[in-house]
Amino acid sequence: MAKSFSVRRLPGFGAIALATFVMLYLPIVVLVVFSFNAGSSQSQWEGFSLQWYAAAFANQQVQEVSIRSLWLAAVAAGVATALAVPAALGTTRVSRFPGQTMIYALINQPLMVPEIVTGIALLIVVAWLKVHTGYTGMGYLVLAHTAFCIPFAYLPIRARLETLDATLESAASDLYASPFQAFRFITLPLLVPGIAAGFMLSFVISLDTVVITEFVKSAGQDTLPTYMLGQLRRIITPEMNAIATLFLALSLIFVTAFFLITRKRG
Amino acid sequence: MTQEIEIAGLSKVFGQGASAFRALTDINLSIDTGEFFTLLGPSGCGKTTLLRMIAGFEHPTGGTLKIAGEEMAGKGPNARPVNTVFQSYALFPHMTVAQNIGFGLKMLGKSRSEVDTTVAEMLRLVRMEPMADRKPSEISGGQQQRVALARALAPRPRVLLLDEPLSALDLKLRKEMQSELKRLQTETGITFVFVTHDQEEALTMSDRIAVMSAGRILQLGTPHDIYHAPAERFVADFIGDTNFLDLPVTAISGDVATLTLPGGQSAEARLPAGYLPVIGETVTAVVRPEQAVLGEPGSGMLSGTVASSVFFGTDTHLHLTLSDGQDFILRRQNTADLPVPQPGTPVGITLGAGTLRVLRS
Repeated sequence: MAKSFSVRRLPGFGAIALATFVMLYLPIVVLVVFSFNAGSSQSQWEGFSLQWYAAAFANQQVQEVSIRSLWLAAVAAGVATALAVPAALGTTRVSRFPGQTMIYALINQPLMVPEIVTGIALLIVVAWLKVHTGYTGMGYLVLAHTAFCIPFAYLPIRARLETLDATLESAASDLYASPFQAFRFITLPLLVPGIAAGFMLSFVISLDTVVITEFVKSAGQDTLPTYMLGQLRRIITPEMNAIATLFLALSLIFVTAFFLITRKRG
Repeated sequence: MTQEIEIAGLSKVFGQGASAFRALTDINLSIDTGEFFTLLGPSGCGKTTLLRMIAGFEHPTGGTLKIAGEEMAGKGPNARPVNTVFQSYALFPHMTVAQNIGFGLKMLGKSRSEVDTTVAEMLRLVRMEPMADRKPSEISGGQQQRVALARALAPRPRVLLLDEPLSALDLKLRKEMQSELKRLQTETGITFVFVTHDQEEALTMSDRIAVMSAGRILQLGTPHDIYHAPAERFVADFIGDTNFLDLPVTAISGDVATLTLPGGQSAEARLPAGYLPVIGETVTAVVRPEQAVLGEPGSGMLSGTVASSVFFGTDTHLHLTLSDGQDFILRRQNTADLPVPQPGTPVGITLGAGTLRVLRS
């Protein structure tokens, strides 16, 4: 009897899979392990200690950039999500119109265009704006992060909308709901998981963005990732590992929340 | 009797130019208050489009649609005194059964106490009181069906529209819901417009049926008329089993034509209204399989031989070949333990008086 095709029986499948996982996760494991090193080496284990975490928490600069990163991510993700909801509604809950695919591509442009290109483009425009307006505040970073986060907020919301039966909205209007009431009482509550997922994802993306922040920020506007990048140019102590581990934990919390929210459908 | 829905010259075209699709053509229809009215036809015949136009989800390309004497043009679904039971039920998954049922009343701005009273009444009407606080995902398909009905009935619409509401249920549940629907309609006195492709469902439940095909109403009448006096080949074929016989006309008197049967005997057949063939023309006549009676060879009006037979328990279907080669199906009730005629057996066939009818061609 012929067996059905299974990729798992191909020669080398297991070895390649294992190598891939090792390549992906071993460095992270090493990073996390050495964040607990009692010594200051990245290669020699000298016993367990939380001293680098204590050092990271005590570091004024780390506190400052972390807070900046968190509120920047919260604002950017919040605004991006608020914009993504009408964008998703406008591209799914309407009859097809000319240019729809074009708009879809434009909304998702930040996913397609190399980040470095967006970064340089923003650098030029922002530099010009700074000269002409004299304003050098956080507004540029907020705007840049928001724009960059929109597709990450848009995609889960759109995905959720596409699984939502449009008949529900018809049923609401059949039961005397105005278009706004149908949105308020039916679409919006059912869209909450998508909205939450979109927010989480864009929050993590904003937290993680290095390239765009690096090009747009003014002096004294370092975020956690750009600060870490700056520190790496000097000496690398396990304090960096501790910060990176905390950062990883935070991201994991958000990604797990994203996963749990999107998994629970209906 | 007053007219709840009046439709005149209604048409619907989807799309434009070469890709335009004519979904409905010149629909004229009036539905009486308190009537159980069925739109029956195969999928794609336009019955659901017509229902959606009454509901306000689609807008006509031409013609007029009045509900309770009021022209509906330009009114959305939320401004029409009709409610729909959707094929998929479309229950709101984030609301309880009670909240679903109360939604329409809440949107109409009814007071909390009025909503609660009506919801309780509706729960009782569809026998769903113990399920009031469940979510739709926590109840069975049949129960969801009842909730969808209660939700649509709660605002006391002038007309209830039902879009193949029983198609997702298994046979036993479907039978139960058929009588349940009939009961609800009688108890509430609300006009029901029911869409189905199931001819048996249409025959058993309706006061009147409109048989639709390719965007037109082919015949409109009581289940009795539609079954016994189909006017067109499509109607006769779609509803029940039928024998079609091509027979020449030898005489016409009023609305009765005299036809020559295979074997040379003459038989009288009723003509459909407004159809007058000429003498000598060959017309199509129909007779239902259960209206023909099996007899000895040489008896009756037709003679043939048995080609095959299928035993169904309550009756036996005999496939016969008439003397001129046309096929004929005869349904014999198994009132006694009769022997099944073997293939090749010559038989005589008697047609009951008034059972043969001419179709419009």
